[in-house]
Amino acid sequence: MPLVRIPTPLRPHAGGNDSAQAEGSTVGEVLNALTSAYPDLRSRLFDGEDLRRFVNVYVNNEDIRFLEDLDTPVAAADEVSIIPAVAGG
Amino acid sequence: MRFRALGEEGQRRLCASRVTICGCGALGTVLANHLARAGVGHIRVVDRDFIEIHNLQRQILFDEEDVASNLPKAEAAARKMRAINSSITVEAVVTDIDHTNILDLVADADLILDGTDNFETRYLINDAAVKLGKPWIFGGVIGSEGQTMTILPGKTPCLRCVVEDSPPPGMTPTCETAGVLGPAVSTIASFEAIEAIKILSGDFESLNRDLIMVDLWNWSFRQLKVAGLLGKVDCPTCRRREFDWLEGRMGSHTTTLCGRNAVQIATRRADKLDFAQLAAKLTGIGSVRHNDFMLRFETDGHEFTVFPDGRAIIKGTNDIARAKTLYAQYLGS
Repeated sequence: MPLVRIPTPLRPHAGGNDSAQAEGSTVGEVLNALTSAYPDLRSRLFDGEDLRRFVNVYVNNEDIRFLEDLDTPVAAADEVSIIPAVAGG
Repeated sequence: MRFRALGEEGQRRLCASRVTICGCGALGTVLANHLARAGVGHIRVVDRDFIEIHNLQRQILFDEEDVASNLPKAEAAARKMRAINSSITVEAVVTDIDHTNILDLVADADLILDGTDNFETRYLINDAAVKLGKPWIFGGVIGSEGQTMTILPGKTPCLRCVVEDSPPPGMTPTCETAGVLGPAVSTIASFEAIEAIKILSGDFESLNRDLIMVDLWNWSFRQLKVAGLLGKVDCPTCRRREFDWLEGRMGSHTTTLCGRNAVQIATRRADKLDFAQLAAKLTGIGSVRHNDFMLRFETDGHEFTVFPDGRAIIKGTNDIARAKTLYAQYLGS
């Protein structure tokens, strides 16, 4: 099962976990499975069916926007990372 | 000079270079320190704030005496930089960077450096840099984590290609709500500084083309591939050349509320704020309560009244720059 890396600000909405395994053969399926397990996470990642514009998702180290977005295929050994923009400084 | 990749010619170029450091807090002081010592010939430091005692934990050019002297950050930093290296020219500009002044602040610079703490100013820098075709380096830090990216307009994705929109207030932690560790800031600012030295000395080949992400507490270092976004995303800024922040269509508009010792900051967000989430972030930092129409937050002599569209009235100051700082500190960009 692909591993999803959850960023620090979203961990309180994912049972405190820094990563979780979720079933699916595309990024969209994996994130749907994850947000079924943690419904609180859904509204933070999605606006309806689309990812929120300040949420970026990577498969391994590649931005899914230049792959196939939520349809990007993922294999069991792949890592899906949710990357928020870091504001401070 | 002895470092072979830089050499005498590289050092000569550094001495003839001009940079503008936007923001002189945690990131900005580390940048200023490195670039002054590296001998960058002309450094303009721009910041709107005064130094406070809680800044000293991470803002490395300042000390308790600067706090006691009530010095603006830009001025205190400039004095230290001149003491560090008397052969360079340092210009302190105490101002709030906005769409009316940014072009003047960066037009003569070879490079713009991000020492800010909010996305509003970063998008404004990005607009100015893309419009003028100038390189700039983004950096952001929170807790023990940080990000940095080097932006060469037209050659690499710009900030808006990668971060299409800033998280709404309350959705993202700020240094005030989540804390920030000095070494994390130093690391990201040092990455920015080394990229600056490469650009100013003319070595564009060796630049970072990724979005770098580090978490120092958990020892993770990632290089996220973003180069492919250039031309692939229909970026309003670098592809369509719509400069929403620079032309004042995006970003906050501030007004001093006369006689009320308050400033209104009106942002232009399309989405509504999640008050419950914002309240959860602010609980423990001050008193906070909310209903469907507004959220009220009090801390440290200031009272924030926040509306669902992101607009806020900040009581306890009539200084616009101070109010914008407080907004960025507690609510986020």
